[in-house]
Amino acid sequence: MMNEMPPEHMNPSGAEGGRKLSRQERLVNKVRLHLAMTVREIFEEVEKDELRPKAMAYFDDIFRKFMHNGEGVIKAAEDQKVIGTYCVFVPEEIVYAAGGYPVRLCAGAHDTSEIGEDFLPDVACPMVKSEMGFASMPILDFYQRCDMVALPASCHWKLKMGEMLEPFDDVHMLDVPRVKESEKARDYWLEEVKRFQKRVEKITGRKIRRKALRDAIRRIQRAQREVVRFQELRKHNPAPILGRDALEVLNAYFYDEVNDWTDALATLNDELEERIAQGIHVAPPRAARIMLTGSPMVFPNWKVPFVIEDLGGILVCDEFCTSQRYLSDMVSVDEGTMGDMLMAIAERYVLPCACPTFSNTIERRDRIARLVDEYQVEGVIYHVLKGCHPFDIELKIIEKLLQEKGVPMLKIETDYSPEDVEQLRTRIEAFQETLKGRN
Amino acid sequence: MNVQRIRLVVQFISFVVLIYGGLFAIDLGNRLPTFACSYVPDHGGGCFLVGFQHMLSRPLPEFLGEQGIRLLKALGIAALWAIVINKAWCGWICPIGLLQDLLTRLRTWLSIDMSRFSWVARKRYKSVKYILLALLVLIPLGIGNGLISRDWTAPYCQLCPARPLLPLFRGDTTQFAINFFSLPTMALTGGAIVLVGLMFTTSFVKRRFLCSYCPMLAFLSLFDKVGLFSLKKDGSKCTRCGNCYRACPMEIREIEEEKGLKNLVTQDCILCLRCVEACPENRALEAQFAGFSFLKADAEAFLARQEAATGGKAAATKRRKK
Repeated sequence: MMNEMPPEHMNPSGAEGGRKLSRQERLVNKVRLHLAMTVREIFEEVEKDELRPKAMAYFDDIFRKFMHNGEGVIKAAEDQKVIGTYCVFVPEEIVYAAGGYPVRLCAGAHDTSEIGEDFLPDVACPMVKSEMGFASMPILDFYQRCDMVALPASCHWKLKMGEMLEPFDDVHMLDVPRVKESEKARDYWLEEVKRFQKRVEKITGRKIRRKALRDAIRRIQRAQREVVRFQELRKHNPAPILGRDALEVLNAYFYDEVNDWTDALATLNDELEERIAQGIHVAPPRAARIMLTGSPMVFPNWKVPFVIEDLGGILVCDEFCTSQRYLSDMVSVDEGTMGDMLMAIAERYVLPCACPTFSNTIERRDRIARLVDEYQVEGVIYHVLKGCHPFDIELKIIEKLLQEKGVPMLKIETDYSPEDVEQLRTRIEAFQETLKGRN
Repeated sequence: MNVQRIRLVVQFISFVVLIYGGLFAIDLGNRLPTFACSYVPDHGGGCFLVGFQHMLSRPLPEFLGEQGIRLLKALGIAALWAIVINKAWCGWICPIGLLQDLLTRLRTWLSIDMSRFSWVARKRYKSVKYILLALLVLIPLGIGNGLISRDWTAPYCQLCPARPLLPLFRGDTTQFAINFFSLPTMALTGGAIVLVGLMFTTSFVKRRFLCSYCPMLAFLSLFDKVGLFSLKKDGSKCTRCGNCYRACPMEIREIEEEKGLKNLVTQDCILCLRCVEACPENRALEAQFAGFSFLKADAEAFLARQEAATGGKAAATKRRKK
């Protein structure tokens, strides 16, 4: 397809319109070109899969746009305010209720993570580096489109990233309490959410009314309901959809308008239901059922799921903050007053959250144990991004839990560079062999 | 299934039976452990505290004879009621509970936010109802043995907000008054009017404010362990999202904190079952009667209720039609 070729002007070497490009512009062009190539490679690989659900095309379109400066990835109207978000703590309900458009900026591109090294030490996790790269350079247009960026102080990298972002964005820090159970922590977090609300209202110029907030909650609940259905379908053995496709679907939520995304997922779910009824599956019934946990994976950093499924395993679920953790817990409206809804929103984002930046690990342990049982997981791959300390710290605890449950675990430590793919392949292959031996 | 709607219907029926039952020849006896006020003309059932206080107002030696047996019989019947229905008396039957719940509905309809006690304050006030329960025994005994003036007779009836309030539903306003006979009667009956006032005002701030101090709740809580209704929690299924605590009108934090398998009918629980309904995790919470599970936390039911709570059903179908 012609339109998938990177545009001509992205020539990294040269001049444009007779004018000599600055070093910065050349770098931008180079990164854009590399990103476009990475994306194209991914979709070339994906297209080889003949059993892929047709409804995936909708989600592919979103990511294909990464080849063209990301234009059209987000659907914010011309005059609509765009609020960039990081992590899983920024209440999108509030953004929608105020008439804004939320877009999650957590990034997975290798080339921009190299730019990020201008701001951060080498040992920093590639995700924050990549985010800094995108924020500081005009590579994808929606990073430049943000009227405000909400950054939760989750891990230490994110905590310090706020100041680094300031030259490029209007940054709003959200202070997430680390020891979240106490009364004061809850009150404080509720105040943080209200402060965020005031800030968003100021930016969009629209005061949030009760009905608008209720509607926003409903929109997101509807999306989450579809996710529940999707995850139920993924439990089916043999699997009706590849894990890498599922990651793509959930990753697309970052950028897409919530109602459109929900409709697209509903279409996909209908298709998957049909497939199950017809007995169509993407992996043989005896394929090793793998679960991913640890540091999140964001497009286009999909090397690990690709390796797992190329080797004949099937990724049945994950516990990432980019998918499962992001979308599984729901706001629970009780009395429906403004205060009740705000409290429900605040609590939904923090109390059940299994992010390792919180002091306790009980939520994450329980959740992993449940996922292992519900999805009949045979092996767990624990993914640590180099420099991602919170997940590294919890590794031993999760390892012990899985040992007790008799589920083998493989730790892989990697970053966004494609260099170690072959090495990963060898290790994951050996791991999946041992899983086969067990049956 | 919307349990809260069913509960409201049951509360209404109970209210009608207890207040107007006598008109239809219903008599549930005068040993009910709930605020079914005996001062209501033609009531269908009466609170056991009236008789209990009078029976206790005797010289101590009398309890060794027939009086003791009468007292034990009265207590036994009340205890039996308490074991069979335990806290459901509070959440499903008590007329004062219904009135408070209705005022809460009015508050949410007016979209006035609720507030909660701080955790410390709540803990501190928890003992008040037990102190009241102890006094409920001690004051009548004091009267019977000449230590306390007769003006204190049946002090809890004099102080109870149900006495001035509930007869009003039969058009009887005589109880809605302060008895100026003596200082104690003035204080007690005046207190009752104050409590009625408090009930109406606090209901616009807090849920079930009076219940936290109710000596009847303290009495019923003595049977928490043996009561036939129980509330079970499977901690391994819990994500500690806090929905249950937020939904709980009695602000019971144990419901969210508990991680093990446990019966969670705690001292303040009124078995309204809002927590079970607010729980999004399959079978994390379960309400049982005599070991038979009649309501389980259910993800799908949770979703359906949320859809209703956010006004989604109509909107969802409208969307589909488009």
